[in-house]
Amino acid sequence: MSYLELSHVHKAFAGTTAVEDFNLSITQGEFIAFLGPSGCGKTTTLRMVAGFELPTSGQITLEGKDLTFLPPNKRNVGMVFQSYALFPNMTVAENIGYGLKVAGKSKMEIKPRVDEMLGLIHLEKFGTRYPGQLSGGQQQRVALARALAIRPHVLLLDEPLSALDAKIRVELRHEIRRVQQQLGITTIYVTHDQEEALSLSDRIVVMSQGKIEQVGTPAQIYNFPKTEFVAQFVGQINLLPVEVVNPAQGVVKLGQQMIQAGQFGHLNGKPVRLAVRPEELNPGFSEGANNLNGKVDTITYLGSIVRIRIAIEGHPVSLDIFNERKLKIPTVGDPYQVTFPVDACWLL
Amino acid sequence: MKTKRFHFWALFWPLLAMLYFFLPMYGTLDFSLRMKKGVISLLAYQTVLADPQFLESFRYSAIMGVITVTISVLLFVPTVYWVYLRLPQARPVMEIISILPFIIPVIVYVFGLIRTFSGPPFQLTLTAFKTDILITAGYIILSMPFMFRAIDVGMRAIDVRSLTEAGQSLGANWVQILFNIIFPNLRIAILSGALICFATVIGELILGDFLVRPALGPYMVLVGRDRAYEPAALAIISYALTWGCLGLIQFFSRGGNTQQQLIGR
Repeated sequence: MSYLELSHVHKAFAGTTAVEDFNLSITQGEFIAFLGPSGCGKTTTLRMVAGFELPTSGQITLEGKDLTFLPPNKRNVGMVFQSYALFPNMTVAENIGYGLKVAGKSKMEIKPRVDEMLGLIHLEKFGTRYPGQLSGGQQQRVALARALAIRPHVLLLDEPLSALDAKIRVELRHEIRRVQQQLGITTIYVTHDQEEALSLSDRIVVMSQGKIEQVGTPAQIYNFPKTEFVAQFVGQINLLPVEVVNPAQGVVKLGQQMIQAGQFGHLNGKPVRLAVRPEELNPGFSEGANNLNGKVDTITYLGSIVRIRIAIEGHPVSLDIFNERKLKIPTVGDPYQVTFPVDACWLL
Repeated sequence: MKTKRFHFWALFWPLLAMLYFFLPMYGTLDFSLRMKKGVISLLAYQTVLADPQFLESFRYSAIMGVITVTISVLLFVPTVYWVYLRLPQARPVMEIISILPFIIPVIVYVFGLIRTFSGPPFQLTLTAFKTDILITAGYIILSMPFMFRAIDVGMRAIDVRSLTEAGQSLGANWVQILFNIIFPNLRIAILSGALICFATVIGELILGDFLVRPALGPYMVLVGRDRAYEPAALAIISYALTWGCLGLIQFFSRGGNTQQQLIGR
């Protein structure tokens, strides 16, 4: 049963299309991430759900009720902003209780809710402080508590961790997921960070140029990308221009080397590309798998991973191997053989 | 060597500017204290402060100042806020409008006001009350550059859009957002604008003179025509009032800086 529904939502700004025919059904308690590069329309879509932008056409419904043209202050939708947007003139407790105050709740009702929210974000002792006296991470937790205090139907987060440093970001995203699961609140999270989207969400909506490219679970998005854009945007991928040899069996050739693709659709004569993730490739030779020969081009240390780039038939192919002390690193220019299972690659 | 030369010029110009500014003021102060021959006294000040016409004109200008400030705040804060939020493309137009009182000479402006509003259908110069309405409108326009700039700077310092949207998402309406969020966060900016606006009204001459109202500016000119020491005392009192306003702006702005520093932590 759909809880929040966006049907054929379209948004244009002065003739420029920002969001095009956006259709999505979200179930209650689900955590959805809108993932895409800057300008893909993810924030615009979120702002239409919040009511800050009106769709040019289409409909947004919540539990069957039409929200499309309802003012933002009548929607009961909590919003967390990238810039925190805490009210500098109010204390932490006053910020959290503001939504309840404007709803006409009594002090007797506001106080316990504020205390509950402060407990939820582990900032019990910070109620009397002003936003300017908190760190960025603490401010964002207060912003989260403030949005949750009104018990919203939907929680919207617009790149909430972008302004924080890497370590705090990881800590806070676990915190957001914990709170979301604890309260069972339907959540839409906008991000351009694939790691955030993959680690947090029940489902990811990958967007590009105002359109949905793919909707799926993190595993579906990463392992079975439907389009070249998704394959390239989410994670690292090798995309090799190949020539079809046997369309019925998915046999292609890269230069003079044959490859058997594990997944292929209609090969209608158009140029095709073979997709394979760097972590699917292994050094050496395996019987019954695809084996390719090339030369080591570059080697990059990424901490726990070593990325080796091999030139195969003039095309760069990346291979990720786990770093360990006993690892023997090849030298640039060495001949190198890589192997990968047939079902690890597919044709786009 | 270069550093020494830099230090010399860095001190020379401010010193010269201060001398240029303070020497005449010192001269005025010294003159105002010499009403009694051969003795330093506050007689000129006592005479001025005892003059019922001074008190009346000061009271009138102060009331006009308060009314002007109140209307200016209620007019400019929502207008600038709306422009920031909904019409950002209109900001350059606002900027130009806001400096018009600096470009158009006050005398031209006053004649324009009298010609337009003294005849039918307005007839705003027929009674004292109606003239007060006209003079207040004139003061609002004259002090607009100061009030507009102060509010504009204040708006730039806060993320107006996000704060408004945060308020909306929490269920607040426009009035609640304006009075609970925007006004309190513009407190220092509004106060700065208000004090400059007040000081402008207190010292304004031409509007009061041409609309024949008992304002402090025309009184000072009148006293200056007939007497010698009292105008000097009045000038010092006027300076003191303006400086008092500036001091208050500094005092409250310092509070703002402390808050900014905390935000920056």
